[in-house]
Amino acid sequence: MTATTAPSPGVRRQGGPGPRASQRKRRRSLAPLWLLSPAGLVMLTVTIAPIVFLVYTSFTDYNQRSLFTGKYSLVGVEQYTDLAADPEFWQSLLRTLWFTAAMVIGSVIVGTGVAQLLTRLGVVLRQVVTVVLIFVWAMPTVASSLVWKWLFQPGYGVVNWLLTQVGVFGDLTNTDWSTHPGLAYVSIWLLIVWQAVPFIALTLYAALTQMPVELQEAARIDGAGEWRTWWSITLPYIRPTMLLVTLMSVIWDFNVFNQIWLVSAGGPDSATSTLGIFAYRTAFVSFRIGQGAALSVITTVILVALSAIYIRRLLRSGEDL
Amino acid sequence: MSTIQAMSAPLRGRRVGPPKGGPLSNTLAILFSLVWIFPIYWMVNTAFKPRSEALTETPLFLPESPTLDNFDAAINQTSFLVDLRNSLIVVGGTVLLAILLGIFAAAALSRFRFRGRRTIMVVILVVQMLPASALLIPTFMVFNELGLLGTYFGLILAYVALVLPFSVWVMRGFFIAIPVEIEEAARIDGASTWQVLTRILFPLVAPGVIATSIFAFITAWNDYLIAYTFMKDQSQYTLPVWLASFSTPLTGTDFGGQMAGSVIFSLPVVVFFLLIQRKLVSGMSAGAVKG
Repeated sequence: MTATTAPSPGVRRQGGPGPRASQRKRRRSLAPLWLLSPAGLVMLTVTIAPIVFLVYTSFTDYNQRSLFTGKYSLVGVEQYTDLAADPEFWQSLLRTLWFTAAMVIGSVIVGTGVAQLLTRLGVVLRQVVTVVLIFVWAMPTVASSLVWKWLFQPGYGVVNWLLTQVGVFGDLTNTDWSTHPGLAYVSIWLLIVWQAVPFIALTLYAALTQMPVELQEAARIDGAGEWRTWWSITLPYIRPTMLLVTLMSVIWDFNVFNQIWLVSAGGPDSATSTLGIFAYRTAFVSFRIGQGAALSVITTVILVALSAIYIRRLLRSGEDL
Repeated sequence: MSTIQAMSAPLRGRRVGPPKGGPLSNTLAILFSLVWIFPIYWMVNTAFKPRSEALTETPLFLPESPTLDNFDAAINQTSFLVDLRNSLIVVGGTVLLAILLGIFAAAALSRFRFRGRRTIMVVILVVQMLPASALLIPTFMVFNELGLLGTYFGLILAYVALVLPFSVWVMRGFFIAIPVEIEEAARIDGASTWQVLTRILFPLVAPGVIATSIFAFITAWNDYLIAYTFMKDQSQYTLPVWLASFSTPLTGTDFGGQMAGSVIFSLPVVVFFLLIQRKLVSGMSAGAVKG
């Protein structure tokens, strides 16, 4: 379109654009404004302004009383120095990092395996697996968390019963998963991986079906084995998609809240308390809102840093913005 | 042998690919399906059991005398209908607002070129990445000041903030796909910008509107954290909060009722997912994976 191509000096005519062009130009400069303003206004009031306000709040001592009186005072970086001196903060931070790593590794490995499996199935079984994946994907996290508690219920939980039948772990009938730090985490990890696999598997499978068969055929003809073909041909082909689903998993798993809150509430003794849980407890259970805001700011900075990698890749991938 | 087969097979036409339906693959697929569907199967199984069969030492893998009592109990809980109504109002409001605001913004960001457009796109991408929990604290404080806590409008606003970036992004993709010539033709015929938008462009982005509605529906329907924090009275709960607080103080957690409630609550979402099955992955990659 002429409007977007840069005019070269020689082509530019005297007298400027004609009447029709100027009319169009005027329309072009005003329409976006009124089209954007409703959404812009909403984003400004419910997203941008709150983020600014969050940062401001993290420099105050806003607490439960302030919610009623509206009175608070600026305390500088005190909330941040308090956090830096609080071992529970560092524990939550570390816990969040390694929980995230464990969840992402688990879901990406299983998801990749299932995507690969899907390419090797006949029509019927492939449809069966796809429907199973979609059911799991569709489950709301509140419902799946409640189901999880029921599966792992001491005395009547079917998982406890199944594991007891296997016989390797001894009698687990009355094991209370939520009161044992390690077991509480294992059950949450299983829940997250269970629910994350469908998106990863289906996205990677979609990428795999785009791959020209000739590539793999050529490798096979050259005598490459299954594993070698996968490693040298398939993996490089799906690497960009894999990177994206991994980055998205990192962002999601870093943010996991509902499942932990509903399954273990961060317990026992904050053994499964991540930054999100810690911030929520601080702000909405003990109502130290200023401190909670500081925690939220830290979490957001980490997340935005992680997302920056993702967004930069998007911009580089040549997507027309 | 496989080499000979591969070489004799026509290079084009029939897709050869990896061997399909081998016994190992099939066994793995069946095992995986069984393990992965198990929690859902167990939810449904429990939902149809009478109380005496739900709590047994050896679990029953099928209800011996299937019953709808649990569904009855869940629906007849004092607050179910009230909370269902709350959910429907909030979800409906979110979907409508997200479409209305999103479609105009998407049109502006796709059919017009203006200064600052690229900046706005990047801001949308960044905002999309912000965790809901980061917005929770300040929104709570502001809504507390404005008296919006515990109101439908407040909750709808919070959800619109969550879904708007994605909605704009997805619908923008559909706008871009419309050839400029269609727009030009309408303009030459003397249509105004407003007419071009409402008569020509909006009908053509209908699939994007549907994608946005489903996304907004699922986000608002499923949200627990915001509703749990903002709606403190049981009469204001939405269904996820209702479901999570599902317990009878005297007899302990009623697992049958809770699982029946979970089935009721999950059903609309599962139906949506199955309906859009084919579009799911491409939709996700258009909206989420690609931004």
